[in-house]
Order: sequence, then structure tokens, then C-alpha cells
Amino acid sequence: MPIASTLKVLIVDDQNSVRQMTRITLEELGIKQIHEAEDGKVAFATATVQPIDLIISDFNMPEMDGLMLLRAVRGHAALRKLPFILLTGRGDRELLVKAAQAGVNNYLVKPFTTPILREKIEQVLGKLT
Amino acid sequence: MSSFEQLKHRFFDECSDLLQQLENGLTDIRESGASDDAVNAVFRAVHSIKGGAGIFGFDALVRFAHVFETVLDEIRSHRMDITPDNIDTLLTAGDVLSDLVAMSRAGETPTSEYGHECRTALEALMGDGEGEGGGAAGEDFADIEFTPVKFGDDEEADGSQTYEISFRPRPELLKKANEPLFILRELRALGELELTADVSRLPALAEIEFDHPYLAWSGKLKTQATQEKVAGVFDFVVDDCELSIVNVTPAGDTLPSDNFTPLPDNELPMVAAPEATIAAAPMPAAETVMASKPVPAAEAKAPPQKVAATTTRVVLEKIDRVVNMVGELVIAQAMLGQIVQDLPETVSGRLLQTLEEVVHHTRELKDSVMSMRAQPVGAVFQRMPRLVGELATKTSKKVRLEMAGENTEVDRSIVEQLADPLTHIIRNSVDHGIETPDVRAAAGKHEEGTVRLAAEHRGGRIVIQIKDDGAGINPDRVLKKARERGLVGPDATLTDDEITNLVFMPGFSTAEAVSDISGRGVGMDVVKRNIQDIGGRISLKSERGKGMTIQLALPLTLAVMDGMVIRVGKETYVVPMSAMVECLRPARSDIHDLVGTQGMLRLRGELLPIVNLGNLLEVSSTEGDNGGVVIITEAGDDIRFGLRVDELCGHQQVVIKSIEESYGSIPGISAATILGNGRVAFILDTEKLYELAAVQAPAAMNNARLENTAAAAKS
Repeated sequence: MPIASTLKVLIVDDQNSVRQMTRITLEELGIKQIHEAEDGKVAFATATVQPIDLIISDFNMPEMDGLMLLRAVRGHAALRKLPFILLTGRGDRELLVKAAQAGVNNYLVKPFTTPILREKIEQVLGKLT
Repeated sequence: MSSFEQLKHRFFDECSDLLQQLENGLTDIRESGASDDAVNAVFRAVHSIKGGAGIFGFDALVRFAHVFETVLDEIRSHRMDITPDNIDTLLTAGDVLSDLVAMSRAGETPTSEYGHECRTALEALMGDGEGEGGGAAGEDFADIEFTPVKFGDDEEADGSQTYEISFRPRPELLKKANEPLFILRELRALGELELTADVSRLPALAEIEFDHPYLAWSGKLKTQATQEKVAGVFDFVVDDCELSIVNVTPAGDTLPSDNFTPLPDNELPMVAAPEATIAAAPMPAAETVMASKPVPAAEAKAPPQKVAATTTRVVLEKIDRVVNMVGELVIAQAMLGQIVQDLPETVSGRLLQTLEEVVHHTRELKDSVMSMRAQPVGAVFQRMPRLVGELATKTSKKVRLEMAGENTEVDRSIVEQLADPLTHIIRNSVDHGIETPDVRAAAGKHEEGTVRLAAEHRGGRIVIQIKDDGAGINPDRVLKKARERGLVGPDATLTDDEITNLVFMPGFSTAEAVSDISGRGVGMDVVKRNIQDIGGRISLKSERGKGMTIQLALPLTLAVMDGMVIRVGKETYVVPMSAMVECLRPARSDIHDLVGTQGMLRLRGELLPIVNLGNLLEVSSTEGDNGGVVIITEAGDDIRFGLRVDELCGHQQVVIKSIEESYGSIPGISAATILGNGRVAFILDTEKLYELAAVQAPAAMNNARLENTAAAAKS
């Protein structure tokens, strides 16, 4: 059972305002250790050296998008099992099927509320304490 | 401004960029056809605007962007071609989107007819009626199977405890000049604090006695601090209040769920303003007056006119000019102060009062400008994960980078100048510090090495610590190398600490083999120089086999600082306030003469060497070798000494003027400033002064260290 205050979450989004908003929402859940990355490349580099428990990544980003990041993470020996929630701007079925095949653990449609974020995280990690 | 509002402004700033990209992309497409790149750029821009708009609740914007995006997606996936006909529709859609953004920014709610024509045109492009329904947030994808995660038990607790605190001050508390607010603030610094004020004892306004504490507080503190530490906050008032601190940390999963505050959809809670609480006529029994972090205030209910305040991007040079002007203002104000002081008292009285106000405002002005220039150190930290990752791969090591305090703010000029030293230190840590996995395993360590990078504010400075759990520095090797290079005499005896610090000497490089990564002939001496150039200090601690810690202490700004103006003979100097511990006029009996020293001062059981500033800088003192004032000064970690000067002239803000470019580096002097009387004064570099004195009288300095170690061991 994950403890919110020790959970290390990496937010990946190219939009600063969305990252900050996601950060605030995570903080409402008691999550304190929050890292940010502005694209897939930085996120991947960060995840390889920083202990991270959960990635919440946007799909639509320049260069390396969320799906590419997911595949890179799943292809990395140490990060293979890292919980991954994909953020999408719209409920794109095709994308979600692709993401599910690539091993995404859950998805989140923007905009989301604190309870929904909590629900999705708990679906992936188990009840937050 | 609430953080929510700030974020909204940030979103609109991003929108400006995105709209620009949108326009460029569309222009590109019109002029040179629909390249994949251009279409993607346009799609991304619209998509991002939609995403943000959804989060911030601009529904009209979302609805329009959604239709626009759907059309672009069709084009992007080659299901639709760009024709001269529809490119015009897209351009119009771009304009409408831009208008909608502008309206949302101004707080206006666009009517549903707005852009209707354009929307219909877009929908017509797609043929069918797709595009209704906006964000599709409600759509369910329950049939798609996502990979389940089993969360291991390896999650370590952070030792965080929850205390239930109740604090009810008695009248004695205020009478002894204690202030509950400060105590609560101190409490808040320990962790997450959620307090409720009990205002039930508050009488009618006419009956309020100013020195009677009517309020009491109770609530929860979530912190990593021990109960003793939490209780320690109340140390001075414990007899004058009713206090209870109970550890209510839940064991295991029996945590009460009210630790979280789930919010109803799309609604953000209001924080009750403390003033309002007390002023409100029908007084509620209790009201939340303080939360450890600001909760974003509800936005939707605010009148739209108030939303218009926005952030502005300003060219850096303009801010720099303001910083310079503030500097000049500080000087002019000091001059004014000087003149007023020379006036007869009958005239100067009122002037002084006004002047004091000017001083106050100048200081605030300076702080505001400095905060504009402040930047989180995260900007530099962000580059490090990649560096560590690349280095680890290159050296076949396993390295983990931990970072903390990325949000610590410091002047941007310092952030900029931190990049090189930090890169160098981290490079060193990974390349030389952390061992290869098999060596680590053999030494009984975890295969994966850790480098920790942390920043924090401490005593008016920013302290950055780089700590690794590698092999540390090998003193034997360092000493051998130092002897080879002639940096130390063959029979000098040095402590391990002193040996470790030899790595800062010019021309010293510890790497036995020059590696591709670190051994570029640029050593720690350059790092030290870099740090000193921005007024910082660097210190190093190494434990063989266990790792190494390098600590950088940097000033928060490079432009203005608090200084003590002092006089020796006819010369005036400035000592940075940050280096001063205390000032005193020692009794003759407290000064012990020791051969080869300028005297040792006994201060509360500690022996501190005294350095006569006059002798050191070759200025003849007016007070003689035993008169004047002694300033207890800090020079780096754990080193203190007494600096003897003739007179303290006063504390003031001084503008730092670099002299290095014109005169090169002068030992003992870090910069210059202009004083109120228009004269130039040097700002002293206490650490360098100490080193200079140590060269002149090494015995005294060494003795001081030995004596103090002994004293410390005894106490």
C-alpha cells in the first residue's frame, strides 16, 4: 500500500501550466515528492537516474510523445515495471488501445479532478495512505 | 494572487506562444503546402490550447478547439487533403480561436453564437456530425485492458508522524512578550500544519483587552520531526499555556481517510481570510485560519473584470537596469543620510524620520526587484539527471541521482554561474567517487551508487550540497601527489582534513588516469575560484570508503548586500554582515599573548586567534594593537577568528561594485562599494583574510584549531 507522502511521481507534459496544475492536484492527495519533465526525452533521462514510483505523462508532446516514452520505459531493464498513467487531451480510443498494448497501466482524460486523479492512481497502485 | 490564478496566467502566456505557432504553421501550409511537420505543429498547438482550457474550465474555448482539432487530426492522418478552400476555413478558425483565448483571458464568457459560422464550416469539412461533445471525458474505456501493477512492499516509510496539537495561551504568555503567531509559524516550518483557531472566547470589540490572549488553536501537524522537536517549539511558553501534543500517527492502513480533502468536481475550496473570520458578525465557533499551503481560491465566482491582471514578459536588461538604479538609489540615500547627520539637530530631527522611511522603502524596493530576478535552482538541477545518466553509461557504473530543494530561489546571475561548477563536481563524483558495481559489492555497499544534490536557504545564503556514497578521497594518494607537485614540503605533517583540502590547490588533479570525462586539466581549484568569484564558499568533507560531501554556500544576490562599515586608521572598509558573528571590546585580561600570534581571545571557553586588520593590510591603526573593537568573524566551516578594527561606523546596505575586471583579484578584498560620503570602500573577504593571516602566523591559526578541537571535545 503506497504512502502518499513518500510516493515519487514524475509529471511529463510540455505545457508548464498543465504540469503545475497536475502538481497541485497531486499535492492535494498528499503527494510531496513530485518531479517534472517537459518532454519524453528529459522524462526518460530523469527516470533512469531518479527513483520514481509513478509516471504521469501527457501523450501529445514534441519529439518524444507519451507513447514513445511508454515504450522506452517498458523496454528499459530497470524501468520495465514502472507504473505509467497516460494523460490524453481527448478520449481517443485508438490511442488508448495502442497504449494498453504497450503496457500502460491506466489513462486520464484532461481535464481531471482531484477525486478522479486519486481514483486512477489507486487503481494502479492501490489505496493511498 | 492565488497559485491557481498564477497558473491561469501562465496558461495564457503559453497560449500566446501556441497561437503564434498556429499562425506560423497555417501560413506555412498555405504558402508551401501541407508538410507533415507543419500540420503536426498546428495540430499540437490547438490540442495544447484545448487541454489547458479544459483544465482551467474555459468551456467555449474547449468546444471550439475540439472541432478545430478534429479537422486537423483528419488532415494529419491523411484522411483529408488541404485545398485552397479549406485552408481559408482553417485560417479563420485560427482567428476565432485567438479571439476566444483573448476573451477567456479577459474573463468574458463568449456567447454560444460566437464563431458559430466558422464552427459549422469546420464541421462541414468533416462531412458528418462529429465534433460535438467536447472533451469526451465521460467516455468509458472499460473494455480496454490496462496492465495491472502490483505494488511491492519495498516502499519505505519516510518516518513522517502526525501530531494532534492543542495550544491555548494564558495571559502570562503575552505579558512575557511571547508571540503566539511566531510559535505557530515555527510549527508550520516543521511540516504540514492544519490548524483551527478557536475564537469562542473572543469578547465584543469594546471589551477586548489588548494583552489578553483570547484565541486558542488546535489541529494536526504532519512532520518528520520528533515529538521532542515539536515540543521544543513551545519551550519558552510551556509554563504559560495549556498545551497538548499527541502522536496520532496511524499504524498501517488504519489511517483515517480525512487526511485528504477530496474536492467535489470542478470546485475549489475557498480559504477563509483570517481577518474576515474575526470581523464576521455571527461568529462561527471555529474557522480554519491557517493552512500549511495556500489552497487555490475559487475562480469562477470572481467578477470577470478582476481577472485581467496578467504576467508580462520583460527583457532581462530592463530588470537589470532597475537593479542598477536601486543600487544607485541606495548610494544616494546613504549620502543623504551622511548630510543629514552633519546638520544641526534642530533641523535634522524630522529629516531623519523621513529618511528612515526612505531607507525602509528602498529596502523593500530592492527586495521586490531581487525577487523578480530570482529563479529556482531547479533550472540548473534539471540538466543533471541527463549528465549522470550519460556518465554512468560511459563508465559502466550504476548511479542514482537524488535531488531536493529544486524550488529554492536565488538570483538568476548566480543560477547561471552555478552550472559549470556543479557539472564539474557531479562529474567528479560519478567518475572518481562512485565505484564500479563489483567494487561496491566487494565493499559491502549497494551496487548502485547515490549522488544527492540538495539546495536550501540557510542564514541569508543558499547552501547547495553534493553528496555521494562513493570511495571518498584517498588521503595517502592526495598527499603523495601534493608532494610530487611540490605543493607541500616533504616533512609537513597534515591532518586528513587538511590533506583532503589540498585538492583545491591550483594545479592539482587527483585522477590517477586522465579520463575522458574528468581529467581535462581543470581541477577543483577552478571550481573553487568560480564559486569564490560569485562570493561563495566551498567546503569538502570526505570519509574514506564512505563518500564525499561538497557544500557550496552562496549569496542570494550579487548586487546589494548588508554590510558593516568599519574603520582602521584613516581607511574605511566593509565587512559582510553574513560573515559577522558578534562584536565586542575584549578586556585586556581576555587576551592571551602567544608567541608568533597577534594574541588569542578567550571567549566563553573558546580560544580564537585575533587578526589585526591594520597590520594585515598595512594601515596604521589609531587605537593601537590592543584597542578598538574585535569582530568575531566566520571564515568558512567551523573556523572563527577575531578581526580587530578601530571602530564600527554603522550597518548599511551596500552596492557591490566588482573591481576584478579593472584590478584583478586582490587577496582579502572581494569587491568595492561607494559610501554615503561618496568615497570608495573595499568589501573584505573574511575567508581570504584568514588565509592571509595564516600565512603570516601559521602557528596561531593551527594552535587555534587544536585548542578548539580540544575545547570542543571537552564540552
